[in-house]
Amino acid sequence: MGTNLLDADLVKRVQAGDTGAFDILVQKYQHKVINLVGRFVSDQAECQDIAQDAFIKAFRAIDNFRGDSQFYTWLYRIAANTAKNHLASRARKSANYTVDVDDAEHFEGESGLKEYANPENLLLTDEIRATIFSAIEKLPDDLKSAITLREIDGLSYEEIADVMDCPIGTVRSRIFRARDVIDKELRPLLE
Amino acid sequence: MTEHNEKLSYLLDDYRGDNPEATLDEVIGDVNLQYRMRRYQIIGDAMRHELPQAIDTDFHQSVMARIREQAEDSPQMSTQDSTASRLSWLTLRPFAGLAVAASVALVTVALWQPLKQESGQPDDNLVSADQQKIEQLAGQQVKGGAVPVSNRVQALGTRWKLEHEMPGLQQKLNAYLVNHTEYSNSVQGLIPQARVAGFDAQQ
Repeated sequence: MGTNLLDADLVKRVQAGDTGAFDILVQKYQHKVINLVGRFVSDQAECQDIAQDAFIKAFRAIDNFRGDSQFYTWLYRIAANTAKNHLASRARKSANYTVDVDDAEHFEGESGLKEYANPENLLLTDEIRATIFSAIEKLPDDLKSAITLREIDGLSYEEIADVMDCPIGTVRSRIFRARDVIDKELRPLLE
Repeated sequence: MTEHNEKLSYLLDDYRGDNPEATLDEVIGDVNLQYRMRRYQIIGDAMRHELPQAIDTDFHQSVMARIREQAEDSPQMSTQDSTASRLSWLTLRPFAGLAVAASVALVTVALWQPLKQESGQPDDNLVSADQQKIEQLAGQQVKGGAVPVSNRVQALGTRWKLEHEMPGLQQKLNAYLVNHTEYSNSVQGLIPQARVAGFDAQQ
């Protein structure tokens, strides 16, 4: 398994001015960053906003990233600091922030948070999870083992080849086929 | 197309393949490949139980929209521009201190000039120019035989003239003033005499 060569390539492209490469990095790490922020802030909507701020800060500071550490550890550090600063800022504001009783019904907070965790999104997420696990259950054993060893156990292709006693090319093919089958089930939900 | 998708799957697992740059170019330039990559990512996140409570399907789009929006508002946000501005700052930083010092000196000189004039200490050049004019004017003969004002100023006031020419009269006058202060409406003491002296000086 490589050592996040894809991230390194994408970062280089962003540093050279290719904004589209940053889009890929956002898509790759959005859920991890939101989950990380969720350890500091319980509100789902706040999590999304803080995660968004963290990505924007990362983009603005990406020229300073020299590749001494992995990109995701650098990004996680920014996300954690953004969350901590948000909490500190909220604590300061709440000390002298009052809402009139008559306005309380319409109060959404100072930052005008969007309602990400609406019932539709919650339902969609549950549906996505159910669809993926249902599709995995239906996979042939060789595909199921390959994708499970890769995604859950985090093994490299070489390690999976050892475990499954097959060539690396076969591992590569099995993992792709497993993803492709699951994707066919998942795609209608996200279009 | 299957070959592309397999390459994408391989790339996502951080394997480069034969020509990773070309594959990356394809992904960045093809929205459908990006969507597929994102779905592959969601599959992995769901299997590791890393999906958030609620997926915002537009999250990455709103992040990128905000980045573009801020880049338009402040062009420095563009990474290339920020690099350029940082480089230029590093280059110009040694001169920044000089620029500040020069500005302070300029302001000081600008403020000093009016202060100097107000305090009655005109510039040496101005003094010499004014002095020359005065001397020229003073030396001019005014038409009609009129005497220059400066020449009409008496060397001694009336009071001092009296003291010199008629010392007895001066004493009489003083005695008169002292004896008649009681009829004055003003406060007794030196003030009436000062008035007289003032009047005398103005003459």
